[in-house]
Amino acid sequence: MPTSALTSEIKALLVSELNLSGKDPEAIADDAPLFGEGGLGLDSLDALQIAMLVEERFGVRVPEGDEARPIFRSVSTLAEFIEQSKTS
Amino acid sequence: MTIVVTGVGAVTALGRTAPESFDGIVRGERGFRELTLFDPGEARSKIVAEVRSVSAPADPRLSRTSELALIAAREALAQAGIDPKTRRVGLVLGGTTAGMFETESLLATLLSTTETSQQRDAALSRMLNHPLSAPTDRLVKELGPFARARSISSACSSGANAIAVAGTWLELGFVDAVLCGAADSLCRVILSGFSALGALDPEGARPFDARRRGLTLGEGAGMLVLERAGEHARARAICTLLGWASRSEAHHITNPEATGEAPHAAMLAALERAGLGPGDIDYVNAHGTGTPLNDPMETRALARLFGDDLKRVRVSSQKGMIGHTLAAAGAIEAVITALAIERGVVPPTGGLEQPDAECAALRHVTRSESRPIGAAISSSFGFGGMDAALVLGSRDRAAPARGKKRSVVVTGISAVTPAGIFTGTDVADLPERADGGTAVTFPEGALDPERARRLDRSSRIGALACREALASWAPSSGAKPTGVVLGSAFGAVDATAEFMRRLRDKGVRMVRPADFPSLVPSSPAGYVSIYLGLQGPALVVADLAASGECALAQAAELIAAGDVEHMCAGAVEERSAIVEQVLSLVFGGVSAGSARGEGGAALALATADSGAPALARLGDVMSFAEAAAADALASLPPPPEGAIVLLGSASAAALVARSRWSACSTILAPAICGGHEAAGSIAIAVAAAKVARGDAPAALFVGTARGWGYAGTVWRAGRERTT
Repeated sequence: MPTSALTSEIKALLVSELNLSGKDPEAIADDAPLFGEGGLGLDSLDALQIAMLVEERFGVRVPEGDEARPIFRSVSTLAEFIEQSKTS
Repeated sequence: MTIVVTGVGAVTALGRTAPESFDGIVRGERGFRELTLFDPGEARSKIVAEVRSVSAPADPRLSRTSELALIAAREALAQAGIDPKTRRVGLVLGGTTAGMFETESLLATLLSTTETSQQRDAALSRMLNHPLSAPTDRLVKELGPFARARSISSACSSGANAIAVAGTWLELGFVDAVLCGAADSLCRVILSGFSALGALDPEGARPFDARRRGLTLGEGAGMLVLERAGEHARARAICTLLGWASRSEAHHITNPEATGEAPHAAMLAALERAGLGPGDIDYVNAHGTGTPLNDPMETRALARLFGDDLKRVRVSSQKGMIGHTLAAAGAIEAVITALAIERGVVPPTGGLEQPDAECAALRHVTRSESRPIGAAISSSFGFGGMDAALVLGSRDRAAPARGKKRSVVVTGISAVTPAGIFTGTDVADLPERADGGTAVTFPEGALDPERARRLDRSSRIGALACREALASWAPSSGAKPTGVVLGSAFGAVDATAEFMRRLRDKGVRMVRPADFPSLVPSSPAGYVSIYLGLQGPALVVADLAASGECALAQAAELIAAGDVEHMCAGAVEERSAIVEQVLSLVFGGVSAGSARGEGGAALALATADSGAPALARLGDVMSFAEAAAADALASLPPPPEGAIVLLGSASAAALVARSRWSACSTILAPAICGGHEAAGSIAIAVAAAKVARGDAPAALFVGTARGWGYAGTVWRAGRERTT
């Protein structure tokens, strides 16, 4: 399980960098879907922006295309990916 | 009235003239090489379609974009045998990058504080290259005088829309001929932006191919001379321009709407204007960028248009040969289509070997074919979902007669200023309410935070102004879609500087993809069309301090020519530290008595015969070279008792002084909204509101900028008066 410090950092990053000004970062569930209905409702342009932010903030390159899909599923999958990439 | 193309010019990676480029295309050449113009860094692709035959202008104050435009313009004028000095000629130039290549490296410098003041002043003076209107200014200087000139942007459909605007000018009888087209040079902002969007194919674009991964950026210019088809022009005609139309997807700033509804609607409307049906079309010059999303979407739009006939119509894209030349693409592709019709040669799609299953329904052309083309469509789609289609025909074709010029009424008014947001006739109170503030405050909840989250400051001002203008009355859902024209003199200069600083300090991989669309000058119109769901034509126009007047003129022309029935027209300007420095350097300080502010305003417009409830009626909106101002203003009707004058800038007062309206009470817009380039739109909004409320029976608005002037009148609704 990723640390709550990391998931909180990711949530704060999403809210500030994607201009989700109406959202409280803490109200985002760890496993809520980032894309599509029933979650944050982000789109492919946001995915590009998140990939850039993850590389800038955590020094980790997010793969592209189909490989990226499971990583971008939720805040917790993103956090797991970052932790694994940092330790490996 | 039929319009003929009597001259064409093009500069592309495949040639310095239109025939040279066309011959290369017919031979199947691909102009893709490694970039030499600047260091591409870690960009996703270093392969571009660069114009290596054109070197940097010797004078550092000139831009590469304007150099490309000038070469193509000279070619087109020479072929048409037209000299703007001896005939009434108009100029319409589309663009996205303008002087970006020259100014982008300066922008990051301007943010730093370590440079000496001389270095900063030198950098700032070169910023005059930057505005969208700068290449137009250069063409006017080198080739003019022109009777009227316009700078427009609708991102990658700018070239097609420039040709459409030129067509309306001929129909409305403003000029005898129009030089029109677009130009764009490669630059760091564009390469890194498209790279960040993951839109570049590292191997070079392959439109419609199963292996395609994106587009290849190109640069160049395409210019055409259009004339009315008199006997003399007909004899020199290359082909005819029969129809045009544009529609907005109102969907997403970078991703196309997958069903292709808006491109389909644009093609259908362009055919209707041409008096043709899909069965008359022999060839489609597709937008065909080679991105994974564009090509299937375009296939769906074409399948909808042609139905069972789809396999008959030959389709090709040259973006795998000359790259995606952005604004220039629509103009260069119109030139290619014109030559294809003239020569009876269907040009191929370079790079296409294995059509993708989703694009397989089309009749692709992989090698040029000799066969007559009676009529053809050229399509262009832009960022923000701004889609345009042109219909070109063989030289002997005739377009159907058009109805008379439509008159225009005002159905809504708004102003967004530091003193607050004003709607309808309340805008008339603005002169008394001005508080000397310089920044617009957005009230809590004024815009939906979720849907507006990507909108930059100018686009937010535009969305608010247009929404308020449309608040009092909006056309029913069955009506033809509403369009939007916004004036924006400088675009997002500070955001571009910030983007360049990241590029310089952190490299191509670290630029922000979501910020890139705002750097394209058309983005306020694109964002407003998306935010408000406006599916008609969307354009940005630029004419420095007269950008507001220019936008109103543009919108009124589109209505008068029957291209659209409902329009939102206004201007936006955001505060910019860099623009303030540039202006104070050039003009030696901001004009006295008015701090530079920000804001915007909009009018909702409709055709008088649409049955829309009118707040006021618009007289002709004139656009003229300042040298011809006396004649233009002399044509105004005399002012009725109590009429007022609104000035977009202090310099416009000199024009009014020589007119019959000189004794009228005058309001100077910058004095009530702060000095900025959208002040003209606020002058117009106040003029309309004062007339609508009955404060004045009529109002004249006048604006000027660097050699050009605009003037128009507003009258009480219902009162018949021709101006």
